[in-house]
Amino acid sequence: MLISLEGITRHFVVGGETVRALQGVSFSVEKGEWVAIVGQSGSGKSTLMNVLGCLDTPTAGRYTLNGQDVQTLDDDALAQIRNKEIGFIFQTFQLLPRETALSNVELPLVYRGMRPKERRERARRALDQVQLSNRTHHRPNELSGGQRQRVAIARALVTEPSLLLADEPTGNLDSSTGEEIIRLFEQLHRAGHTICLVTHEPKLAARCPRAIRISDGRIVADGPGPQVALEQQPLPRVGS
Amino acid sequence: MIEAIVLKIARFALGSLWVTIRADVLEGAKIALRSLGANRLRTLLTTGGIAIGVATLLAILGIIQGLNESFERQLATMGTTSLYVSKRRFGPTGDDWQEARIRKDIDLAQMEAVRNECTYCEVVAPNIWYQADVSFLGNTISGVQLIGTTEEYIEVGGYKMARGRFLNYSDDADRKAVVVLAADIAESLFPSSDPVGATVRIDDHPFRVIGTLERRGKMLDMNRDKAVVLPLRTMRGSWGVFRSLTLIVGVDSAENMDRASDQLTGIMRRARKTPADRPDDFAINRPEQLLDLYEKLTGGLYMVITGIGLITLIVGGIGIMNIMLVSVRERTREIGVRRALGARKRTIVLQFLMEAATVSGVGGAIGTAVGLSAAKIVSLITPLAATVQIGTILFGVSFAAAVGLLFGIWPAARAANLDPVEALRYE
Repeated sequence: MLISLEGITRHFVVGGETVRALQGVSFSVEKGEWVAIVGQSGSGKSTLMNVLGCLDTPTAGRYTLNGQDVQTLDDDALAQIRNKEIGFIFQTFQLLPRETALSNVELPLVYRGMRPKERRERARRALDQVQLSNRTHHRPNELSGGQRQRVAIARALVTEPSLLLADEPTGNLDSSTGEEIIRLFEQLHRAGHTICLVTHEPKLAARCPRAIRISDGRIVADGPGPQVALEQQPLPRVGS
Repeated sequence: MIEAIVLKIARFALGSLWVTIRADVLEGAKIALRSLGANRLRTLLTTGGIAIGVATLLAILGIIQGLNESFERQLATMGTTSLYVSKRRFGPTGDDWQEARIRKDIDLAQMEAVRNECTYCEVVAPNIWYQADVSFLGNTISGVQLIGTTEEYIEVGGYKMARGRFLNYSDDADRKAVVVLAADIAESLFPSSDPVGATVRIDDHPFRVIGTLERRGKMLDMNRDKAVVLPLRTMRGSWGVFRSLTLIVGVDSAENMDRASDQLTGIMRRARKTPADRPDDFAINRPEQLLDLYEKLTGGLYMVITGIGLITLIVGGIGIMNIMLVSVRERTREIGVRRALGARKRTIVLQFLMEAATVSGVGGAIGTAVGLSAAKIVSLITPLAATVQIGTILFGVSFAAAVGLLFGIWPAARAANLDPVEALRYE
C-alpha cells in the first residue's frame, strides 16, 4: 500500500471561526493506481491534496506515505519527502519564469545535491519522456500552455517519485491541449506510475479507473471513475 | 573493521556536506546573483546606499586617525624621556588654579639642586619664554617666541644646528648679547645671506647671531620655527623677566621615568622647603599628559562624528532590508514552488542572506575605495592629516557585511517561514 489515510481532519481558524475543511477522511491507494479526487470548490479537495503532498499537516489522523508516518516528521524531513516521494503538477504550472525548461526540470534534483552533469542528463531524459527534447533551452514565456504543462510534468517525473500529484492539470488549458495532457497521464499510468488527480470536472474524473468524491470535507463516494463521476451530486448541506 | 566503519562515516559526512554545499550554498549564490542581475537599477541604488555609509565612516575614521597620529608624532618630538618640571600642571589645572597662582617660582637654586642631586637625570635645561619683535635692516617680525635657556637646551629641545654654534656656558655666565635663530626667522630676515655674525635687534637690543637651527615643524598650534634662543641670564637682564623657570629634564632611559619623577619630587620639595603636610606646590609633567588632555578634548567629538558615520551606514542597511522585503514579496510564489520541490527552510534563508550579503559586500568594497580616496583628498587639500590603517578597512567592510546580514535576516526568515500552500496561491 502506497498511501494510507486514517481519520484525517484539518481545521483552520479564520477570523475566530473554525473551518472544518476535512472531517475524518480515510482511504488508501495502491502502487500503480490512478485515482481522481473530485468535488466542488470548497469541498475540501484542495486541502486534501495539500495534505497528500505534505505541504500541510493534518489536525488529527494518520497519514502514511510509502511506509513513512508523515505527521511525525519535522519541516526539513517533510521537504525531503516532497523532494523524494512526490511529483507536483499544478493548474498554473508554477514554472520559474527566468529559468529555461531544462533548469526548471533540474530544480528538484538541485535540492537533492546531485552533481550538475548528472542532473542535466536526467532532466534531458525527463523532457524526452514528454516529447519536449527540442525545447530544452526555451523559457516558459516562449512555450505554449500545453508545452508548459509538459515541462511541469517532466519536472515531476525527473525525481522518479512514488506519487504524482496533479491539481487541475487541464484547468488552464483549452480542450484539445487538455486532451493531450490527459493522454500523457494515461501513458504514465500504463507505465506504472501512481497518480492522484484533483479535479472538479466530472468528465475528467470519469476517465480515471478510480474516483473519490469529497463533499463538505467527507468522502461521499469511492469507486470506479465513470460511476462516481457521473452519479447524481448531492445537494450542498446548509449549516453544520 | 573499525577503519571501514570510520571510513564509511567520513564518506557519509563528506557526502552530506557536498549535498549541503550544492543544494544550499551554490544554488543560493546562483539565485542571489541572478536576482541582483535582474534588478540592476534597484541593486545599484541599494549598493550605493551602503557604499555611501561605508565611505562616510571610513573617511571620518581616516581623518580622526590621521589627526591622532600627527598629534602623537608631534608629542614624540618633545622627547619620550623628557620631564617638564614647572610651577603649574600642563593643561587645565582644575580647582587649584587659585592656589597655583601664588606658588613660589622655580628659580636657579632649585635648578642647581636638581642638577646636583638627580641621579636619573642626564641633562637639565632651564626655560623661560617671552614674546618680542625681531628686526634686521628695517625688516621686522613681530610676536617672535624668545626662549631663554642654557647650553643644555640643544640636547633636550630636540633641535639641530643648521649653521654656526649653539649657546655655550660663557654666553650665559657673562650675559653675552648673542642669539640663535630658528629656521623661519633666519630665512625671513636673511633670505640670501649668511646670518651668522650679523647683528639683529630684538626689541631694540642688539644681538649678535651665532647660529641657526634646522626646521622643526609645528607642535600643536605653536610654530617652533618662529623662535629665537638667547642665554637665560642675558634675557633676564635685558627684559627683567624673572618669571618661574620650567626645567626640562632629560632622563637617562624610558624605564627610569617613574623613578626619576619620584626622585625629582623629593628634590624639589626639599629645595622649595615644602612643608611635609602640604601637597606638592609644583608639577612634574610628561608629554603623555598632553595626550590625555587631547583625548579628553577630542574623544567626545570623535564619538559623535563616528556615530554619524554609523547612522549613515545603518540607513544603508535599512535600504537593504526594504529591498529584501520587496524581493521576498515579489518572489513569494517562487519560494512556494521551491519549497514544494524540496527546498528546506535553511536553503531559502541562505538564498536571501547571500543576496543581502552580496549587495552590502559590494557596497562595502566600493565605499572603501571612495572613503579612502576622500580621506586622501582631504589630507591633500586641507591641513587635516588623514591616514587609514588596514584595520580600519577591515572594520569598514566587515561592518558593511554585518549590516547586510543583520538587515537581511528578518526578510530571509520571513521568506523561509512562508506557508508553502499560501505561497503557491499568492498572486
